[in-house]
Amino acid sequence: MLRLALPLVLLASVALAGLLAGGAPPRADFVMVNRGEVSTLDPVQMSWLQDFRAASLLSEGLTRWDVFSESFDPVPGVAESWTISDDACAYTFRLREDARWSDASPVTAHDFVYAWRRLILPDGGGDYAALLSCVRGVREFVEWRSRQLAAYAAASTRDSARAAALWEETVRAFDERVGVHAPDDRTLVVELERPTPYFLDLTSFGPLAPVHRATLERHESIDPRTALRRTDPSWTRPGTLVSNGPFRLTEWRFKRHMRFERSEHYWDRQRVNVRSVAIPSIADGNAQVLAFRSGAVDWTSDVTPFYRGEIFAAKQAFHAAHAPEVARLRAAGLDPVAIDRALPRDPRAHVHAFPSFGTYFYNFNCRPRLGDGTPNPFADARVRRAFARTIDRESVARDILRGGERPTRTLIPPGSIGGYASPPGLEPDVEIARRELAEAGFPGGAGFPAIEILVNSEGNHALIAQAVARDWGSRLGVRARVIVKETRAFREDVKGGRFMVSRATWFGDYGDPTTFLDLNRTGNGNNDRGYSSPAYDELLAEAERAADPAERLAILARAEALLVEHELPFAPIYQYVQQYLFDPHRVGGISPHPRQAQDLSRVDILGDGVGADVAPAMRPGRAGGSLAPPAPPAPHGTTP
Amino acid sequence: MIALIARRLLQLPLILGAVLLLTLALAWGVPGNPLERAERRPPAEVEAAMRAQYRLDSFWSFAWSYTLRASGVRYAIDARRGEPMDGRDVFDLGPSLQYRDQRVADIIVDALPVSVSLGAAAIALALVIGVGAGVAGAVRPGGVLDALTLSLALVGISLPTFVVGTALLALFAIVFGWAPVGGWGSLRSMLLPAATLSLPYAAYIARLTRVGMIEALRADYVRTARAKGLPERTVIFRHALRNALVPTVSYLGPACAGAMTGSFVVETVFSVPGMGQHFVSAVQNKDLFLLMGVVLVYAVALVLLNLAADVLVRVVDPRVS
Repeated sequence: MLRLALPLVLLASVALAGLLAGGAPPRADFVMVNRGEVSTLDPVQMSWLQDFRAASLLSEGLTRWDVFSESFDPVPGVAESWTISDDACAYTFRLREDARWSDASPVTAHDFVYAWRRLILPDGGGDYAALLSCVRGVREFVEWRSRQLAAYAAASTRDSARAAALWEETVRAFDERVGVHAPDDRTLVVELERPTPYFLDLTSFGPLAPVHRATLERHESIDPRTALRRTDPSWTRPGTLVSNGPFRLTEWRFKRHMRFERSEHYWDRQRVNVRSVAIPSIADGNAQVLAFRSGAVDWTSDVTPFYRGEIFAAKQAFHAAHAPEVARLRAAGLDPVAIDRALPRDPRAHVHAFPSFGTYFYNFNCRPRLGDGTPNPFADARVRRAFARTIDRESVARDILRGGERPTRTLIPPGSIGGYASPPGLEPDVEIARRELAEAGFPGGAGFPAIEILVNSEGNHALIAQAVARDWGSRLGVRARVIVKETRAFREDVKGGRFMVSRATWFGDYGDPTTFLDLNRTGNGNNDRGYSSPAYDELLAEAERAADPAERLAILARAEALLVEHELPFAPIYQYVQQYLFDPHRVGGISPHPRQAQDLSRVDILGDGVGADVAPAMRPGRAGGSLAPPAPPAPHGTTP
Repeated sequence: MIALIARRLLQLPLILGAVLLLTLALAWGVPGNPLERAERRPPAEVEAAMRAQYRLDSFWSFAWSYTLRASGVRYAIDARRGEPMDGRDVFDLGPSLQYRDQRVADIIVDALPVSVSLGAAAIALALVIGVGAGVAGAVRPGGVLDALTLSLALVGISLPTFVVGTALLALFAIVFGWAPVGGWGSLRSMLLPAATLSLPYAAYIARLTRVGMIEALRADYVRTARAKGLPERTVIFRHALRNALVPTVSYLGPACAGAMTGSFVVETVFSVPGMGQHFVSAVQNKDLFLLMGVVLVYAVALVLLNLAADVLVRVVDPRVS
């Protein structure tokens, strides 16, 4: 009998031994479920929203976004002030004296030069390496470095000494050619190739945050095989990472949890409203909601369970039950969270659906021939317009998505960029669509090849595609079928132009229309449609030359109109919403702004006696530092 | 027994080499750019630098470089050359291409004890439930208790773990508040995932035990024991059960391997930071380094667990040679 029990005893011992290796930390003041697992804390490597969120706790750029201003103004961060030259091509930042790293050493302008050099160089492997291409000399420097690396790879002798010599040469070339300089510890001078109105906005963006030079230098080396400067990733471990933001990293157990404590060296620490922040790792969408409902989590930043639609419907029912009060509060100018806070407490009010800085659309392949060499009917703008006019966007949002998504006919999400108004977009009209299709040589859809709508297997893309295929079939008389592929295979096909129609998404990075419009520029690396229009490229070039910001935005609106009313290289379908879960009576400081970036130093657990205990609210945009006042408040785009 | 253990251990490097090549060939053939992480594509010069860094331009170059690093040969060569070395680089499994702040070896060191622990708890629980239910059903085959345990076993095998897991989570974590929703590190956090993971195994063990027990209870030696006037309890637990459990013990090896390596769904539902999550995300992301590392560990685990099961069978049943 004892022998029979042996496996059981063994297994139980193993199970207990494994448990001892675990251990959860005590609850933090503010616990949030991030959108996904943080993939990196290295500013150069960042690519996902969840990375930027964690980074905003740890680091601060020259500026910070004022997330409660409608125009998302950059306000002083490490830079206490800045001046812009008359030709708008030179920015001189004055760094504050009390800006400190978490090890109490001062944050200097040299740290920024070092960090930006890492970002610009191809060595770092960052998706945002091209972000600073508006800075003088960057494009030429990157090309020069790439040629240098290629020559090294082709050479017969490759050794540590030669690779190190090349690196020295690279540093010299950067200093000589690139317009980023630190004349002293507290002054940073940036020279731009041309006026770039959104440059200041970029200085709040995570990849442009400074890095602690001394720490990085201990973790960087030159690979003698490739001559690339490479970084040992362990520099972002707790205890090693030196940061300059409102919090410091105290614990990071991958796919378990992250923990941040308020930094005692942060210059604006008095304004930080919570002592600690934790991000437990909860991957499953249903479990995230359950974690919120059990009280283990204060904020769930991306609600994705299969009953997402029902959650939102309950919120709508709550508002419907208080309709007169909601209307009164809205008329009084309260933001959506403040309205919920003013209503009686109800769990249904914990759901918040805010429009976000992303658009869902369908790419039309604009190349003359398809991937298999056959003629491409979508190369004709009349065909594209016909197909874009006949998508029932309202039905997609109402019947499939059900999470508060807004049907849209434009590319740039309405209300997301201060001072910019999108054109109305193409009017849906089945009769005009049929006429245009006939003019293109396909009367009643006759002779049109069978359409393949390429989507990836995640989420509800296939359902949407089936609805769109049905619309095209019934309204235009064409046959359309849905091709579902695994996400990576799907992306390869899209990037390689092997599709007729494919689903697509774009989220903006900075507060300027070009963050969306550049996508359709001829030759852009993300122009998956293969679209090329000299008229469109010329409009973008004209906007670059425009000296007056208002005139520039008007030109960009014309460029967007060309896309969404005439050329239609894609069919916009809906604007994303970000669905959050938090109790507005308990949590303050979560911004409903479409840009989605949050300033988590503003987050406050209300009534806990820590921090201001006053929830901030949205207000009209204002300028920070010595920035010139922004354009007057904008009409919020066009409601589709 | 020692010869068996030695033989299996000697086979291990060959098995690992074959697994490495096969996995790499399959992963390489899967469409998708391993360097792409979001909708946007990195600039061309960045992608070129990354390909050079990770030797992603050629299958054979990557395979050769990876084998040298993962096997420790590269470390030995570099150490001989007197290059500055980090002790963690002896078996260098590379970085994760998706989670670039993480080294694959660190991920595995962190996640493996969790999966092993969860799997062991699930199998222990499955043994207790399965053997108990199997014996109870076999004592009176065709009776009410037998029908009940067989039905429950059928349900246990049929119900997907994500349904069971979510239901248990909603009931015990939300309604009763007895267990946390996620996390790891306490007995309470282990109970629900272990129970969910154990159900299909418990059901299978119950059926194996029942069949073995019915056969054993019909055997001559049991009839003899009963004829001697031994109490039924003694007949069942001392005489019949031992032989009835041999198939169950043989099943333990693959069951342990399955529970410790195949708990992806349970790990996701309960946010358990184990290997299963990494395996699936590595496949989805075409994260070559992480995928190779996890597969190699799984291969080692499978060989060792099957070996342990073979040893156990010999301990339980000395007739097996």
